[in-house]
Amino acid sequence: MTRRRIGPRALTQRVLLYALLIVVAVVPLFPLYWLVISAFKTPAEFVTIPPTWFPAAPTLDPMVSALTEVPFLQSMLNSIIIAGASTLSVLVTSVLAGYVFAKYNFRGKDLMFWGIVATMFLPPIVTLVPLYYLVSSMGLSDTYIGVLLPWLANAFGIFLMRQFIMEVPDELIEAARLDGASEFRIVWQFVVPLIKPAVVTLAVFMFVFSWNNFIWPLTILRTEAMYPVVLTLNRLMSYTMSFEYQNVVIAGALIASLPTLIVFLVSQRVFVQGIASSGVKG
Amino acid sequence: MNLTSTAGGGPITGLPRPRRRRTDASHRGWTAAVFLSPTVLIIGLFTVVPMIMTIVISFHRWSMFTPITDMTFVGLSNYERLFADSARVQAIANTGVYVGLSVLITVPLAFIIAMLLYFPKLRGRNVVRVILFATYVIPTIAIVIIWSNIYAPGYGPLSAMIQAVGLTPPGWLSDPSWALLSLVIFNVWQMLGYYVILLVAGLTQIPEELYEAAKVDGAGLWRQTWSITIPMLSRSLVFVVLMTVINSIQVFDPIYLLTQGGPAGSTNVVSFEIQRSAFQYGQAGDASALAVSLFMLIVLVGVVLGAFTKARKR
Repeated sequence: MTRRRIGPRALTQRVLLYALLIVVAVVPLFPLYWLVISAFKTPAEFVTIPPTWFPAAPTLDPMVSALTEVPFLQSMLNSIIIAGASTLSVLVTSVLAGYVFAKYNFRGKDLMFWGIVATMFLPPIVTLVPLYYLVSSMGLSDTYIGVLLPWLANAFGIFLMRQFIMEVPDELIEAARLDGASEFRIVWQFVVPLIKPAVVTLAVFMFVFSWNNFIWPLTILRTEAMYPVVLTLNRLMSYTMSFEYQNVVIAGALIASLPTLIVFLVSQRVFVQGIASSGVKG
Repeated sequence: MNLTSTAGGGPITGLPRPRRRRTDASHRGWTAAVFLSPTVLIIGLFTVVPMIMTIVISFHRWSMFTPITDMTFVGLSNYERLFADSARVQAIANTGVYVGLSVLITVPLAFIIAMLLYFPKLRGRNVVRVILFATYVIPTIAIVIIWSNIYAPGYGPLSAMIQAVGLTPPGWLSDPSWALLSLVIFNVWQMLGYYVILLVAGLTQIPEELYEAAKVDGAGLWRQTWSITIPMLSRSLVFVVLMTVINSIQVFDPIYLLTQGGPAGSTNVVSFEIQRSAFQYGQAGDASALAVSLFMLIVLVGVVLGAFTKARKR
């Protein structure tokens, strides 16, 4: 729409558009709003009919119960370790592999690259049974290594890095080579700074993915002290089925969502752009 | 992307070639091998090998509670039994419905919202974009918890709202005819922002001149959408359809956490059935046959969508 004189028709159109925009903002926001206010309700208020739209007497009790009745902080820490380690590893492996696929030439390169990319479309559930068999026969079931190992490299990361590294001028890399820089130094000193938005995008994406990954830790972990926060929440959910504890579960859900929400909000400008360009270029 | 070259950029033609050129090249061959090996090792060992194993196991009978050496070859019988078992047939049908509904709801909705957010001079659209995307980064389990509360009969807000306008709310997750749809709704809620972002990005790629020309020819908003936006966006749209299919075809967490396939098998889907067959009943062969079928389904969708994009290009 180009700008016109604000006639009655254009005005109606504006008003309608803003009304629509508000609906589009409020509907997705409502469950998040409900998550936050429910976490601060007393158990009694939580189950009142009809529901209250704002906590009458906000309380921190559900939050405190969630943190103290199960090893919640321990599992938050476990999640940070697991998500942090796999993110770091995916960044390193993806940048290195992406660099090779973008800037090197060798026989079978394309076949190899597209072979790797094809695995992007393979749902983890398809390979869950043999993956469990492999990892446990390596003696790694119920270990952090076992949780991490399958997620240390990832096709999406390699694809994303290659897309961005292809845009790094060859001359720059050649010049660095003439100056005697090693390939490794070229990657870290010249390539990575230039593709920072892509690196941030991949980091956020992997962190979120890894933080939220449920089925693999569920399959491979037995010891509750090692549980990532999503498994602890699952435990909290199934062991506290009575109504009085439902808001403890909700408080837990709120706490468990905070790290990924914060990571996203801090990086959203770069992240959203990075995700967007991954789809356009795809 | 903004690329500013640092030290020593610029064309280097005319400079003398480095002396040890051949050694450099072979050195680089080694570098390539070193840089690629972690990736190839991990993806090979934990994705490619398991994929092959899944196919192999699908032709065998093997209880996961016994050593793999007890595996016996049974040919296609796992696949035959797959279609004889009513629970598995229902799981396949439910998956089809879940995927179909997800695509039918998500893609048009994402398109409309992307169009709205792409509208020039609309204040606050970046905030809306962030809000929409925020749902995507929250752990599915947290979303499951909050939605099970939203759907709760009596004290849940959704039923309260429906009652407030004088209607009778359905039983949502406890009603066999509503449970799957209820799960689709929160899948849409969770994923919508991601697809909106992808489509907005696609919209920005459409040259402005096309719209200018259309306006000169007197085309209205509807005409512009049908004749310019949708055809020019078809690549992004196909990508979004593919992502929606892949995403919803493997729905597992909400089923496992919330409904366990019930009530009356109405939310039992293939991925849940795979996990249950394998890890509860130990039937690795049956689970693998299901997994292979699921994978074939994805390949089929990919091929069809690929053919569709090619046809559009002509």
